[in-house]
Amino acid sequence: MHFHMNRKQRKKKAGSSPRTRRGKLVSAGYLLPSAIGVLLFFVLPFMIVIYYSVVDNPISGQFVFLDNFIMVFNNSAFKQAAVNTLTFSAVSVPLAVVLSLFLAMMLESKMPFKSQFRTFFLSPMMVPIASVVLIWQVLFHYNGMMNEIIGLFGADKVDWLNSSYAQVVIVVLFLWKNLGYNMILFMAALSSIPKDIIEVAVLESAKSYQIFWHIKLRYMSSTILFVTIMSLINSFKVFREIYLLKGEYPYPTMYMLQHFMNNTFGRLDYQKMSAAAIMMAVVMVIIIGILFLTENHFGKDVEG
Amino acid sequence: MRRNIMRDAMNKFMKKFIRFKNIIFLFAMLFILSAVLSGCGKGDGAGDERSEYVYVSEYVEMDMECDYISGLTSSGDDVFLSVSEWDEETGFNTNYLYRYNMNENKAVRLSLEMPENSSISGMAPGTDGSLIMIVNCNTFEMDEEGNVADSKSTIEIWNVSMEDGTLLGSEDVTGLVAGKSDYAYIQHFCVDGQGNLYLSDGDNCIHIIDKEFKKVCDIDAGDWINNMASSKEGDVYMTSYGSEGLQLQKVDLTGKKIGDAVAGIPGGYGNQSYYTGVSSSLLHSNSDGVSRVDVGTGTVEKLFDWLDVDINSDYVNYVGELSDGRLWAITRNYEISGSATSELVFFTRKPSSEVPAKEEILYGTMWIGSDVKRNIIDFNKKNQTYRIKVKEYGNDDYQTGLAQFNADLTTGNCPDIIGLDSLDYSLYANKGVFEDLYPYMEKSGMDRKDFLGNVLEAYEVNGKLYGIIPYFQISTCMAKTSLVGERSGWTLTEMLDFVDEHEAENVFDYGSRSTIFYYCIYNNIDEFINWETGECSFDGEGFIRTLEFAAQFPEEYDYSGERDEGISSKLRSEKILLMQSSISSVQEFQMMNGLFGEKISFVGYPNNEKQGNLIQPAGGSMALSAKSKNKDGAWEFMQTMLSKEYQDSLVSDHGGWGFPVRRESLEKQFEQDMKAEYSEDESGKKVEQPKTTWGWDDFEMEIYAATPEEVEAVMELITSANKIGGNVDEQLTNIITEEAEPFFKGQKSAADVAQIIQNRIQIYVNENR
Repeated sequence: MHFHMNRKQRKKKAGSSPRTRRGKLVSAGYLLPSAIGVLLFFVLPFMIVIYYSVVDNPISGQFVFLDNFIMVFNNSAFKQAAVNTLTFSAVSVPLAVVLSLFLAMMLESKMPFKSQFRTFFLSPMMVPIASVVLIWQVLFHYNGMMNEIIGLFGADKVDWLNSSYAQVVIVVLFLWKNLGYNMILFMAALSSIPKDIIEVAVLESAKSYQIFWHIKLRYMSSTILFVTIMSLINSFKVFREIYLLKGEYPYPTMYMLQHFMNNTFGRLDYQKMSAAAIMMAVVMVIIIGILFLTENHFGKDVEG
Repeated sequence: MRRNIMRDAMNKFMKKFIRFKNIIFLFAMLFILSAVLSGCGKGDGAGDERSEYVYVSEYVEMDMECDYISGLTSSGDDVFLSVSEWDEETGFNTNYLYRYNMNENKAVRLSLEMPENSSISGMAPGTDGSLIMIVNCNTFEMDEEGNVADSKSTIEIWNVSMEDGTLLGSEDVTGLVAGKSDYAYIQHFCVDGQGNLYLSDGDNCIHIIDKEFKKVCDIDAGDWINNMASSKEGDVYMTSYGSEGLQLQKVDLTGKKIGDAVAGIPGGYGNQSYYTGVSSSLLHSNSDGVSRVDVGTGTVEKLFDWLDVDINSDYVNYVGELSDGRLWAITRNYEISGSATSELVFFTRKPSSEVPAKEEILYGTMWIGSDVKRNIIDFNKKNQTYRIKVKEYGNDDYQTGLAQFNADLTTGNCPDIIGLDSLDYSLYANKGVFEDLYPYMEKSGMDRKDFLGNVLEAYEVNGKLYGIIPYFQISTCMAKTSLVGERSGWTLTEMLDFVDEHEAENVFDYGSRSTIFYYCIYNNIDEFINWETGECSFDGEGFIRTLEFAAQFPEEYDYSGERDEGISSKLRSEKILLMQSSISSVQEFQMMNGLFGEKISFVGYPNNEKQGNLIQPAGGSMALSAKSKNKDGAWEFMQTMLSKEYQDSLVSDHGGWGFPVRRESLEKQFEQDMKAEYSEDESGKKVEQPKTTWGWDDFEMEIYAATPEEVEAVMELITSANKIGGNVDEQLTNIITEEAEPFFKGQKSAADVAQIIQNRIQIYVNENR
């Protein structure tokens, strides 16, 4: 019976009317530009990156299988870039999430100059990146404003961008640039939490931290996930600021994975760049996968 | 029955088709994608389809001898040339006027006689059928001792018969064109359709005189006038440099002003000229090629590229058009030995199908050098199978060109031959971009022992030869042997100790921090980087000492101050200790010894092996692409530069511009250098005479035949060099320059900045291992 049904269904499908077929063709026609775009700009580059990662170099194109991955994995510059990138992300992403959430909570409460504060935190988003870097250079240059300030307290000058403090500067720059955007997302999420639940919790004599932990955080879990992923992606993009500050070869603690990829691309080492990109993508997928699992775990009762 | 079978077959096919339609769809998408992509990256590569029509050049030996063409104008198919010829009897140059019939290739010297101390400043056909000439006449008043006491310059307009050169009339127009200055000179001259004469001194004023030699007006051009030309329609145009490069503007006689720049005309800089057109308003010639310009519509039609018609644009003097549609050019071709000949070339438009097709070889380079250009043209003229096309990547700017070159490399559009000048040779050699040339040399019957081993080795990577150079110079540093001793190299420490011991005013003439960096670090950057272990030593004593040493020098040398002493005097008095230069000939070696006033040592650039003399390619360097589809054709061109014939052509009286890479040719050059020249003195005794004179700054000396010892010393210098010069990565120089700055400003210690440099360069090294 089951088999019969399948045959029947298939028969029905094969015998679809010319009108339906025409409809499908029209649909395919409409889809074609998008499909070409996806193939051209996503599938093909991805294939090319895979191809480059398994050949000795882009010119001779000799197949070397996983040699590039082994070579890149053992490359001390890559290791340094990976450690720096992970350290930076591990520090800056939680800070970006927690601080922006804190700011959003703060601006949610009844406080004076609320809109002024909001504008203040959003203003870095409006400044072009080249100007941001210029401001940062003035601030953290060896003869910059920051050293002038600490000089007032009798401290010695610090070479912010050429010492172990360099990553601190970049973390601060990253937070300064990203807090406002994250904060707006959290504010939107906070405002969408059903008021009645909070009112019930208040009537039930729930404490503020309990409301925050058991209600607000649960309702905002998808937003937290989104903000975390966005911050993670943005943390990988901090290369742009570092590149503008110190060029292709910055102080070692500021040397990120994208430096490695950018520089190897410039020197025609596409095989190194591709192998590094694939490894980085795998790590990103794992991290984002873990984030999704975490969100599923914490947010399931809210969504369900 | 048969129909049923057919229907069943069709049904089966359709079912299969439907089953696999997803796969077919995917393949269709990939096909579309590949079709889209196949259009990318194709452009001006060697594989382009030929145009429907091409211009074919025909070289004609000129029916006249001329040392120098001082002026030229055309009227119909006749060209009038003012030619300066050297008269052996009188020992003076004499000016003659020729009428040259282009159709018959026949020159007639016209009877016009030019007075002494006169020259033709311009010529143009008049509206009355006569030739109008601007003649600059100089008269000199001599004092009792025979020296020039006073001189006077006048400008005359002559009407000359085009038939026989008879002077039909003349007028002194000095008063009309001299302006406020006593000195009159005309640089550009044109005649418009009404017969008005336009004269310009090359500054910013155009004097306009009617055909009766009455002043019409002066027009202020505002800008410096680059050139003037009459159009086919009878209007006069001038060119000047605006913000977008050269601009073409009409001289508006009615409004007595200069019109707006003609739209659509190519701007740019460099050697550009406009000539009167026959089938269009004007002809435009620049370093790329020739175009027809229609001023009315502002359209420009490119006719041909100079290299496509086997002409070196550097040598083009005049361009014109004949009534039958052919174009012509007169070129002055300079050989590598220095001799020059004039040549007339006709360009005929033909359907491509009538022109035998040749296989195209693409020569890609950032900028093409004059020697390579000459060699390509010679090859294209002679070779019946292959034709070299040139792609210059660096036309816009270096970085854009480099990015384009890299893109071509990786997308399979790599040129067949790669010009190595301005490229990081070792980077590309290590990436497998180049083909090993030793097998090609063997196939061509070339024995590598016939060439200088150290030069070939400098271009070797892992025993493979990836680049060739036809000739080279030696980049070195010199010091008095009495100061540095008999040595052919030194370490950085030895060099710094030497400078510390001798308290000179400066180490180098015009010495600055960048000079020191280039001398001590950039030219021997591998001294600080061990590529095998990946260790850098920028935090070591040598580098720190170099920083401290460089700090003694100004950031930039102040060239504005008055120079009270020449380099020779400073070296002799030991106010400066070292001199960096390139040695390109035995004669230059002799001159350098004279400059120092005593024996010199070629210590070169400091390095641990004490071998700091560098090979500097002089006549272009090139490599064969490993991905070339026509390697044999590409090699056929490349081998011409190593051929006996070409290498021997580099041998010259003055020593040439570098040393030939072929041993036999180099020995011939040495023989030439050692050959003495004699003359007889008053008593009839044979005495050696100087071969030539060489000079540098405040120093000048006569060069006699070289001694065997001098030649031996030059050979020692040549063989001591085993590296190519100028291959330092800009990334490294940028890091060092940027980070050393705080030390020079006194903000950080040398050790601190050295540590930062070490850290940053260490990443560079790790990344590239």
